[in-house]
Amino acid sequence: MEVNMRLMWGFIALLFCFHQAAASAVAKIQADPSSVINQTSALLSCNLTGVPPVKGSYWSRNGKLLEKSKSDAISDYTSYHIPKIDSHSAGLYTCVFMTNPEVEENIEVKMAPHVSAYKHSENSNENDKASLVCVSHSYPLPTDWKWYKLGDVKTAIVNGTKNYMIRSTDNSSTLYIENLDINADMGDYECAGENELGRHADKIHLRVRSRLAALWPFLGIVAEVIILVTIIFIYEKRRKPDEVNDGSAPLKSNAATNHKDKNVRQRNSN
Amino acid sequence: MGVAGASAPGYGPLDGGWGWVVVFGAFISIGFSYAFPKALTIYFKEIQRHFSVSYSQIAWVSSIMLAVMYAGGPISSVLVNRYGSRPVVITGGVMCGVSMVAASFASNITHLYMCVGIIGGLGLSFNLQPSLTIIGKYFQVKRPIANGLAMAGSPVFLCTLAPLNQFLLDRFGWRGGFVILGAMLFNCCVAGALMRPLRGGAPAVPCKPPPTRARTQEAVCGDGVIERPRGRESLCRRSCAENMSCFLDLSLFHHRGFIIYLTGNMLMFFGFFAPMIFLAPYAKHRGLDEYSAASLLSALAIVDMVARPGTGLLANTKLVRRRIQYLFSFAVAYNGVCHLLCPLASGYWGLVAYALCYGVVYGMVCALLFECLMDLVGPCRFSSAVGLVTVLECCPVLVGPPIAGAMLDMFGDYSYMFYMCGAVMLTAGLFLFTMNYYNYQQLDQAKRSQDKGTELGERTGQHGGQHGSSQADDKIVEEQAPSLEQESGTFRVKAETEDNTMQQQQKTEFNPKD
Repeated sequence: MEVNMRLMWGFIALLFCFHQAAASAVAKIQADPSSVINQTSALLSCNLTGVPPVKGSYWSRNGKLLEKSKSDAISDYTSYHIPKIDSHSAGLYTCVFMTNPEVEENIEVKMAPHVSAYKHSENSNENDKASLVCVSHSYPLPTDWKWYKLGDVKTAIVNGTKNYMIRSTDNSSTLYIENLDINADMGDYECAGENELGRHADKIHLRVRSRLAALWPFLGIVAEVIILVTIIFIYEKRRKPDEVNDGSAPLKSNAATNHKDKNVRQRNSN
Repeated sequence: MGVAGASAPGYGPLDGGWGWVVVFGAFISIGFSYAFPKALTIYFKEIQRHFSVSYSQIAWVSSIMLAVMYAGGPISSVLVNRYGSRPVVITGGVMCGVSMVAASFASNITHLYMCVGIIGGLGLSFNLQPSLTIIGKYFQVKRPIANGLAMAGSPVFLCTLAPLNQFLLDRFGWRGGFVILGAMLFNCCVAGALMRPLRGGAPAVPCKPPPTRARTQEAVCGDGVIERPRGRESLCRRSCAENMSCFLDLSLFHHRGFIIYLTGNMLMFFGFFAPMIFLAPYAKHRGLDEYSAASLLSALAIVDMVARPGTGLLANTKLVRRRIQYLFSFAVAYNGVCHLLCPLASGYWGLVAYALCYGVVYGMVCALLFECLMDLVGPCRFSSAVGLVTVLECCPVLVGPPIAGAMLDMFGDYSYMFYMCGAVMLTAGLFLFTMNYYNYQQLDQAKRSQDKGTELGERTGQHGGQHGSSQADDKIVEEQAPSLEQESGTFRVKAETEDNTMQQQQKTEFNPKD
């Protein structure tokens, strides 16, 4: 009986040990730092604990693999150095250890937004529609977009007022202006994007072409055509009395064959 | 109609003087005709965005314009035969200008098809044919140079219009740009005003009436006089074919040289334009950046600009002028060889070499294109000939590039397209060479038998100095442009020929050296 009890306890202890072993085989990644906020540069590192065999590791930003970070080294430690944090390098970084199954951990590298205009100078016609576009590639993406009209006074543009319409998505914002007025709508516009860490703005210049802008060159060229044609015809009329056959002249045949030509003609016409 | 020519002996093509001013006018007209549909594509992206249509829908504008320009050939030929070059060119200029101004107010794409495509295309065809015709009337000896210079208008205008269109688009938008282009097209009227008609207004006076006179029982057109009325047919009701043959010389289809030219050209045009269109995409495909690819086209255009007058000068030399068809065949064949070798070109400089070669041969072919036709049919029938040629060439010109594009889609490799174009042009060149060799043989034979006939006539007609006269006669025949030989060849070929005296008289009328 006592032997059975001992066996049973041993068995249970063994099971417990196995369980512990199995539990301690679960991989854990220690990421350092947990997030990067408003720094100029950073060194991201991931430490793998729980020791399953490691085939290699790599980093990705916003889901896209960073080629240079790929490593085949069997190591439980991997790091990625960002020399300069700008709108291009900010994003959601993920370190991935190629274990079975793969394990990963996220590190957020955040900074103030960077906003840029798609085209810094836009041209549109009077009474036509204009669309001004601003885009942002930063992380986190702007949560708030604002448009202003610059002039003597910087006035905010509200969606739906007058002839304005603002449509914003995650990474871009478009200002539509209907029925352009050459006096009121021409000028500089500012788009501003704001996230939790700050705001940034860019300027767009809108030029409104007048409907009649093309009219003056048109009239000029037509006038030139009329003048030239008149001159040509007058010149021709004035020359006409001087020449019996304008545009053609007696042919200068060789003196030697002149006589012969006439002979030939006479013969042929018989 | 034609008899009047004999009443003013001793006058003919000027070969200089006001002729060069006419060449300048033709330069402008031809430049606009060829360059305008291509340069218009600069606006397409903007218009596409504005009307929210697909790229193929907007590309139709250019295609319709080109198609109507070529198809309108016979119409403008008829008008030129009737009224002369000047009124037709002025009308064409007005039509083009008005069409572009109307197009600037377009509210949908169909308006553009109508205004720019149809009316604009028709206006351009009214510019093209008469310009070519009047060169033939003003020049005989220096005609190849005149043709080369006039055809040089196309690359010059293309190089100028492309950046200009870009500037107008940025500055004025596409509507404003169209308005200004319309005004610029009115300059074709100036070109037309320069095309002073010979002998103060009567068209084609030195020429004999269309040879169909013999076939239609001498119904004289335009006067409504029928010398030998045909049975039930009255003065007013002449058959459609007769009417057509009055205005458009359909007997050209019996002209051996014309048929050779037509067949060879139709074959050639299948592969003529495609390499030009696909050069830039091919360059980008081979890894060149956009600017390098564009620079290839610029190099091509500059070489083309120089090659055209250069070819004109070359064709004018005594040696070449007599056998100008061989030069044309050589140019076409060389074009084919160039395309066949293109896939071997590697890197930027290889492609530059190809572009330069292509520019030279392209210019050669274009410069000689209409000169050869003039050489074959003579200036009198040229206006009908060019109308028929352009309407029949319309098909391969329009169908060629899409076929090349389809080949590209099918094989995914540009090489096959170049091989196809090269093979087509090489075949066309060889065909033209051999057929023209045969044609020249026939014409020489005809000339020899005609000279024998004349010699016999001289011997029986006059005493003394016969030998000298016949020698001079031969010399005169030698000195004359080959077109005269061709003309005499035609007389032999035609099934119905007028009697000998009529022939000789017409030969005299046409003889420029009298």
